[in-house]
Amino acid sequence: MTAARKGAAAVEVHDLEPDQFLEEVHSFEFWFEAVDGYLGGLTYGHAPAAYLPAVAEPDRSRLITALCNYCVGETAALEGASGLVAIAPNRLSKIFLATQAVDEARHVEVFLHRLKELGVKDPEAEVNRQASPGLLQFKRRLLELVAGKDWEAAIFAQNVILEALEYTVFQSHARDADPITREVLQGVIKDERRHIGFGENELGRRLKQSPHIRARIGEVKRELDRVLLDAVEDTMRLVGTSADERHQVVRSYLDAVGRLGFA
Amino acid sequence: MSDPLELDENEEGRPRQRFVLEDTGFDEVPKKYRRFYRKWLGTGDALAPNEAICPVCKVVIRSTRELRPGDRLYCMPCMSRLTVVIGQGGRLEATVTY
Repeated sequence: MTAARKGAAAVEVHDLEPDQFLEEVHSFEFWFEAVDGYLGGLTYGHAPAAYLPAVAEPDRSRLITALCNYCVGETAALEGASGLVAIAPNRLSKIFLATQAVDEARHVEVFLHRLKELGVKDPEAEVNRQASPGLLQFKRRLLELVAGKDWEAAIFAQNVILEALEYTVFQSHARDADPITREVLQGVIKDERRHIGFGENELGRRLKQSPHIRARIGEVKRELDRVLLDAVEDTMRLVGTSADERHQVVRSYLDAVGRLGFA
Repeated sequence: MSDPLELDENEEGRPRQRFVLEDTGFDEVPKKYRRFYRKWLGTGDALAPNEAICPVCKVVIRSTRELRPGDRLYCMPCMSRLTVVIGQGGRLEATVTY
């Protein structure tokens, strides 16, 4: 091993103190450098292309429906994350949620742009036309929790339920999507990793410090997860996801809430 | 995974392997941290003695040291703090520490 390589090996990220780690990963600086790594050089989430391959029917119509519903979910998260900045209990959470709001705004923008690329003349009108009632119900309830300054319940609804389901749905969709949509989704998935991690870890810490909030979170889970799971299953069926993959999405979500102690 | 082998002693007196980490193209964290993470490649992939999968986001976390139960790991892509434990079947696993 050369001296330089020995020097490089000597820096061990896992030796950071927990406080240093949390300070680092919640920072705007970390976010800037992270997203630059995978979004730099892209235009609306994909490499600039002189020629956009067409998506044939009926796949195009299914894709439009899926993207419309992704826009509903991402708009819910954009409005939710923006509102949560004001009630976040500390600086690190406020800064992280500001980066999440930017991520969510980008997701709405790239999905709307993809709809345009697919020939939808008025993407926002199409989103309103195709939005799943279940997703809209979830969005309304999430924003009520945010407006009610119910920090733990809102974080659970947004960063655990919504983000965990989006994360697995996008992964599943990206495997079979056309190349442009796949690239857009892959960028979104990388953002979502931060969002699900923030939700699970923030809530895990809160539950550890204040076990009495568990009952309240359980109520929110019972109220909201079935609503969203049904809406997500409908969307996945539309884009042709197999029953096995749909079960995988549900299993991933149940794993996440299971780690927090919710069956 | 590349270039193992710089040996030192752990608390049990057994040598703990050291690893030099190369950047595998993982692009979701700032450049200075990239070599500590890689993508799980699915069927056919295997974890090295200095690697564990993040249970939250499924990224492979890498250390410059062979992992032992009780070690602390950080998953920067999803901001999780983890602890290495002996899992079912005797294999080392990472669990979330809130």
